[in-house]
Amino acid sequence: MKAILSLLFFVHSFAVFSQEVDADVVIQQVVQKLNTVKDYSVEANIKTNIPLIKIMPVNASIYFKQKDKFKVVSKGIAILPKQGFTDVNTFLMNKGSYMAVSSGTKTIGEVKTNLITVIPTGETSEIILAKLWIDTKRDVILRSQVTTRSSGTVIVDYTYGAEVQFGLPNQLTFTIDVKKFKMPKSVAADLNKTDQQKKKTADKDQKGTIVIKLTNYKVNKGISDAVFKEK
Amino acid sequence: MLLKNTYNEFIKILAKPRSYLGIGALTLLVLLILFAMKADGKSFISFVTASFEQTLSFNGNILNGNLIAFIILQMLIVHIPLLVSLVTGDLISGEAAMGTIRMMATKPISRTQIVLSKFIAGAVYTFILTLWLGFLALIVGKWMFGTGDLIVLNSDGLVILKEQDILWRYGLSFGVAYLALLTISTLSICLSAFAENSIGPIVSTMSIIILFTIIGTLDVSVFDSIKPFLFTTHMASWRSFFEDPVPWTTIRNSVSILVIHNIVLVLIAVYKFNKKDITS
Amino acid sequence: MENTEIIKVQHLAKNFGSFQAVKDVSFTVNKGDVFGFLGPNGAGKSTTIRCMLSLIKPDNGQIQLFGKDLNKHRNEILSKVGSIIEKPDFYRYLSAEKNLAIFARISGKDVSKREIAEMLDFVGLNGRNRDKVGGFSHGMKQRLGIAQTLLHQPDLIVLDEPTTGLDPQGIVEIRNLILRLKSEQNKTVILSSHQLSEIELISNRMVIINKGQSIIEGDVKELLNAQEMVVQLEVNDMEKTINVLNIRFESASFKQINERIIEVNIEKQLVPSLNQTLVQEGVEVHAMEPKRKLEDFFMKIIQS
Repeated sequence: MKAILSLLFFVHSFAVFSQEVDADVVIQQVVQKLNTVKDYSVEANIKTNIPLIKIMPVNASIYFKQKDKFKVVSKGIAILPKQGFTDVNTFLMNKGSYMAVSSGTKTIGEVKTNLITVIPTGETSEIILAKLWIDTKRDVILRSQVTTRSSGTVIVDYTYGAEVQFGLPNQLTFTIDVKKFKMPKSVAADLNKTDQQKKKTADKDQKGTIVIKLTNYKVNKGISDAVFKEK
Repeated sequence: MLLKNTYNEFIKILAKPRSYLGIGALTLLVLLILFAMKADGKSFISFVTASFEQTLSFNGNILNGNLIAFIILQMLIVHIPLLVSLVTGDLISGEAAMGTIRMMATKPISRTQIVLSKFIAGAVYTFILTLWLGFLALIVGKWMFGTGDLIVLNSDGLVILKEQDILWRYGLSFGVAYLALLTISTLSICLSAFAENSIGPIVSTMSIIILFTIIGTLDVSVFDSIKPFLFTTHMASWRSFFEDPVPWTTIRNSVSILVIHNIVLVLIAVYKFNKKDITS
Repeated sequence: MENTEIIKVQHLAKNFGSFQAVKDVSFTVNKGDVFGFLGPNGAGKSTTIRCMLSLIKPDNGQIQLFGKDLNKHRNEILSKVGSIIEKPDFYRYLSAEKNLAIFARISGKDVSKREIAEMLDFVGLNGRNRDKVGGFSHGMKQRLGIAQTLLHQPDLIVLDEPTTGLDPQGIVEIRNLILRLKSEQNKTVILSSHQLSEIELISNRMVIINKGQSIIEGDVKELLNAQEMVVQLEVNDMEKTINVLNIRFESASFKQINERIIEVNIEKQLVPSLNQTLVQEGVEVHAMEPKRKLEDFFMKIIQS
């Protein structure tokens, strides 16, 4: 009896040990790929579909430079999610700040992915929890679900095209929780509008989406620091 | 004779110091807002976008001339009616107090023509005030803050309008805003026909605006039937041009109500002035 | 002679609430008249004049000017009328020139800048064309009022207390102006004034109204001649003079001013007889002169 228990314990420990090694490896494969990108610029088309916000699709230019320089330049007003762009990637590059745990597999579309749960080890980290569905064949993230202290939970779906070799997507779909959105009354007050005229949309849709199509990548061509300076 | 007396009215308005008081006050107010926005406009925008900023980031030139013009136009609701009625409320009663109405009424010009010429002059003054507001808000605003998309906070949410889609909206909204101010002008001139001093019509006009605005905002069912017919309910209808889609039916309804108000007030003033015994 | 009637007012009546300002006023003004419009305060003079100028709508009665009904031909009539009602009021913030231009523009006739300047010169305001009326004295405003009245060359001039606030020289100038307007230009003038001596000097016809009713109307000379007159006597023996008056001239009334002067209200035709009788009775009459004819006549009419 004692021997059987010991054997079971040994097998379980070995299995667990093997799983922990897999999660870290998977993450590091992704990070390695992302690290090949020193800088990039890309043209973005941003389509926002969020309750309480009406905006036409906007074109913008996005610039990135290692390790965390990021800039969006648009002629008009563009609305982007506060997090989910590069902060996950930046977070993952800091190996010692989190613990990665494999949580099984899941098929997204027709692609089998590994679900890796990333738990920050630091108490002051902005990211509380991140779940990453990673395509281990291509070493890219297909979906992320990130919960932060300030922004709540954001789900991002990644689609890849020619730049998959760099781990750069050609489409990002952000799904955002909008329950917290409220109109500041004193500013929004249309003094003479009656209650019947005011639409009550806040209760209906609690999720909003932002779809960003990315084209015309210019990767590792060199970008001046001046581009990222605030005007 | 109507045109000749209208020309006379222009001369009188141009010569009165209080006519410039309105324009001066308007200029000062607008410059004050422009200065405040230049100094700390970002805080103002943060207030507007605060609820979204936890999850979303707003990129681009938000604090631009189009937004500044919108903020300035919002002032219409409270301040400009006073500046309008300061001049137009004096047009008939001021002359009664001065005694010149007696001199005018013995001339070969009908009472109707006297009153109509004052309405026309008042309308032109209001138009100049509106035009000046538009110039300061849009032209000076754009010169100071540049141009860009317009972010508008309505009671049902944020609307972001493309820069190339804004000018025609401003054109029409200023037109409707002018109609709202014209109603104020007409109201004060109408009240002026009943008074023998300048202050009465001005105070009465502002009191009516305040009273009707309060009735319009009170959430009491007993007022629901009259709210749609109060002119104050439609004074902010210029904002509707900055919704997406533009509620054309609502705007047409507002314009109709305001036009009807203007017609009725003119008719009342003409009737009263024709019946009046001039004993001053 | 209806075709010479410039004004015909018939049975005019006007109430202000329960107050009857004008009960029944009728009078006629002929072309070329300087017509005196007399009455005590509150008689209804101002209301009547305002009705004539369409400032007030009468409750009853008919007003015709230039042979036309005022209600139906108002603008046509008023283009031929110039008036000052009570005090002339102007736009204080405008110059004399601009004020005249404003009123001229709606007077029915084109008036040039040159004519305005000439008129200002005529009323003694030359050099003050561009000064704001707010800085004018009362007398200057009165002059400007007259300029405003005459600028469009009206056929009928209505003057309500035109000499108020003027110095003696100004009063004389106004009087001479009115006489010239009549004699040189055959204008018709209605003159409402408390200066009875002025009325007596320049009016040829008049109406007296009291308590909203016209009392008497007619030629000034005829009215005064047909009635009694007041003579002031300076005598050496007052007692004897009073005796004569009491016994021989019972219809006359008198007022002793002092021990030598007595005012006697007596029918005109009895004046020679009075003088003769006093002399026969041994009274020395050192002076006999007519005294305040119109004033006394006016007071008598009003009091009766």
